[in-house]
Amino acid sequence: MPKKPQYDEPLFAELPEWADVKPVEQYEGVNPVAPIFYTPEYTDATNYFRAIVQSGEKSARVLDLTENIIRQNPAHYSAWQYRYETLIALLPTPTPSSHPLLTAEVELMDELAVLFLKTYQVWHHRRLLVQITREPQRELAFIKKGLEADSKNYHTWSYRQWILGFFGGKGSISKDGDEEIDEDLWASELDFVDVLLANDVRNNSAWHHRFFVVWACGVREGEEDRDRVLKRELIYSKQSISLAPSNPSAWNYLRGILTHTHTPFPLVSTFAQAYAYPRDPQASDKQREIVDLENPLPSDTAELPCAEAMEFLADAWESEGGQDKIEAAVKMWTSLANERDVMRKKYWEHRIRDAHVALRGELKKKAA
Amino acid sequence: MATSESSSSATDKLLVDLHVSYIQKLGERSYLTLFPSFLLDHLQSHPQPPPNPLAPNPISPQSNPRKQNKDDLTYHLTAHLRLNAVYWGFTALSILGRPDALDREEMVAFVMSCWDEEAGGFGAHPDHDAHLLSTLSAIQILVMQNAVDRMDVDRVTKFILSLQQPSGVFAGDRFGECDTRFLYCAVNALSLLGRLDALDRERTVGYIERCRNYDGGFGSRVGAESHSAQVFVCVAALAILDRLDVVDVDTLGFWLAERQLPNGGLNGRPEKLADVCYSFWVLSALSVLNKVPWIDSDKLSEFILSAQASGSYNAESGGIADRPGDMVDVFHTHFGIAGLSILGYPGLIDLDPVYCMPAHVIEAKGLRKGWKALERRQG
Repeated sequence: MPKKPQYDEPLFAELPEWADVKPVEQYEGVNPVAPIFYTPEYTDATNYFRAIVQSGEKSARVLDLTENIIRQNPAHYSAWQYRYETLIALLPTPTPSSHPLLTAEVELMDELAVLFLKTYQVWHHRRLLVQITREPQRELAFIKKGLEADSKNYHTWSYRQWILGFFGGKGSISKDGDEEIDEDLWASELDFVDVLLANDVRNNSAWHHRFFVVWACGVREGEEDRDRVLKRELIYSKQSISLAPSNPSAWNYLRGILTHTHTPFPLVSTFAQAYAYPRDPQASDKQREIVDLENPLPSDTAELPCAEAMEFLADAWESEGGQDKIEAAVKMWTSLANERDVMRKKYWEHRIRDAHVALRGELKKKAA
Repeated sequence: MATSESSSSATDKLLVDLHVSYIQKLGERSYLTLFPSFLLDHLQSHPQPPPNPLAPNPISPQSNPRKQNKDDLTYHLTAHLRLNAVYWGFTALSILGRPDALDREEMVAFVMSCWDEEAGGFGAHPDHDAHLLSTLSAIQILVMQNAVDRMDVDRVTKFILSLQQPSGVFAGDRFGECDTRFLYCAVNALSLLGRLDALDRERTVGYIERCRNYDGGFGSRVGAESHSAQVFVCVAALAILDRLDVVDVDTLGFWLAERQLPNGGLNGRPEKLADVCYSFWVLSALSVLNKVPWIDSDKLSEFILSAQASGSYNAESGGIADRPGDMVDVFHTHFGIAGLSILGYPGLIDLDPVYCMPAHVIEAKGLRKGWKALERRQG
C-alpha cells in the first residue's frame, strides 16, 4: 500500500531514491494578476511531479509522489490523471480484481473520499477503478456508509446512480453502460431508500432516488405489474405526506409518478382535499376514526391548509375543465396569491390569467 | 455601513466602491482570502502539517497568527480555480461599470500564460493541464477584453470538440469526468468563438433531454437529481442551441420559483439553505424562461445586499458572502452582483444570463437570445 506522507518527513529533494530525478521548477513568469506562493512541501512535490511527467516515468514511486500531492491538494487533476495512467501501466492485463495494487488503491480511495467528500476528482477516479475491479456491490456498501454521514451529498448520490446504471443498467441510462447486467444490484435498493426516508422524509435526494429506482431505469424483477407498483407508490407518497404535509419533495414525487404513468391528477383529489383547507373543528371524531389507507388524513398537529395540497387540487380541477372546476381553481390560486404563498404572487396571478383565457374560450364554444 | 464591533448588520445599498477595491486584490497576496468558504471548509478537513495546524475559525483570518500558513495552503488548494477567479472578478467589475479596475495587459498576459500548448486549451493556472472550465473562462475574458486574436481559435475548437462523448455529454479534460457543466462550457465557448457549426447539436441536445427529471429540473448527468446550478447550465446550453422546446417551462419555472425561501434567498435543492450564488443560477434560468417575476425580487435583493461585507471582521473589505454573516469571497461577490443586475438594481450594467457576461458584449457579437431580466430601476 502506498505510504502515507507525513509532513515531518523529508522533502523529495532530500530522499536518496529520488536523487536521479532533476526537479523542474514551476513556471515563474512574474505576473501580478496571479502571484505564486506555495509551501515548501508543495513546491517540492510538484517540482518532482513536473519532472516525472516530462520523462514519462510510470513506476511505483510515482504512486507515492502523486498521493503526496493529492493529499496536499485533492483538486490537482493532473496528479490524479497521471496517477491513474501509472496504475494502469503497473497492472497486468487482464487485471485480476484481487491484485494487491488495485486493492490498495481502492482502500486509499475509501479514505480520501471521506477526507475530500466534495472533490470531483475523488469520485471520478473511483469510477475508473471500479470499471477494473468490477465490484459494484462493494461500492454500494461504501456509498451507503457515506450517505449515513451526509445524506444529501450530490457527488455520493450521483455516483450511486452511475453504479446502478452502469452495472445494472436498463432503460434510459444504459446507453453507455455495461453489457453484463447485474440485476441483483437493485435487490435492496428500495429498502435502502425507505430507510433514508424514514430518517428524513424531506430528503429530496432520497425521493429522487426512489423515482430513479422505481420508474427511470426499466422494470425490476418482481415489479412487472405496473398497476400494482403505481398503487404501492401512491400509498407510499400519500402516507409520507400525511406525516409531513408541507413537503414539496413528496408532492413533487406524487405529481411525477402521476405524470409518468399518464394518470389523471383528479384520481388523487379526495386525498388532497383533506390537506387543502383549514382544519374543520366541526368534523366529528367518528369521521376521523375511519381509517382509509388510500386517503390517509393529516395528523392533529399538522399545519393546515398546506400550500402544496392547494396547488395540487387546483391543478386537478383545472385539468378536469368546465366552468365550475376552473372557477374553484381560480379561487384556490387567489388564496395562494394573497394569503398562503404571497412570495410567488406573480406565478399564481399567471395561473389565474391563463385559466380565465381558457374559460372565455370555453364560454365562446358553448355560445357557438 | 456598520464599522462597529457588533455582528453583521444588513445594508440596503450595494457597496460599489468597496467591492471594486475588494476585487482589485486579485493582484495582491491578500487575494487568497477571495476564495469561497467551501474551499476553506475543505481546507479544514485537510490533514495538516503538525507544527501549523489550521485555526478552527476560518472567518477571522486577520487576527489569525497562522494566516501565513493558511494562505499558502489556500493558494494551492485554489490553484485549479485561478483563471475562473479572474473571470469572476473581471465580470463583476464589468457589471459594476468598472472594467478598467484591473490592468488589461496583465490580465491578457496571465490568460495566455495558462495556455497548454500540448492539449490546445487553457489550464486554470500556468503549467496546469487544459480543462474545459478554465478554457471557457479564458475565452470569456479574451472576448470581454477584445483579445481573441491572441489565441489559436482552430486549436481551441478542436480541443473542445475532442471532449464530446458518444452519449453527447462532454468530459472536462482528457481524464474523462463527465458533467452537464462541461457540456455548457463547450457550447458557450464554441458559440463565443463562432464555431457552433462544428458541434453535433442533436447528440448534445439529446443528452440534456435525458437529464431532465420528473420535477422539470436537470441534473449533472443522466439519472442525477435536479440541482439549480445544473438547471442553469442545461437551460443556458439549450438557449444557445435554440432548443428551449426541450424544457417543460411551467413545471421547471415553478420548481425554480419554489427555491425562494422565507428569508428571500434562493437554494439549490429543496430543504437546503439559501446561498447567494443561487441568485444567479436560479435567476438566470428564470430569465431565460422569461419568468423572473415569479419570485419576490425585493426580498431577494435584500437577501443579497445583506450578505455584503459588514460587521467586525470585514467591515472595510467589500465583497459578498454566501449568506449574511459569513466570510466574503470573489465567487459569491460575482454571482451576487450578477443576480442584482438581473433584478434591475440601479446603476449596474446589464448581464447576459445565458453567457454570464455583459449583455453589450454578447449583443455586439450578435449572439443575444430571447431572455428577459427585470427593467433597470432608477437609482
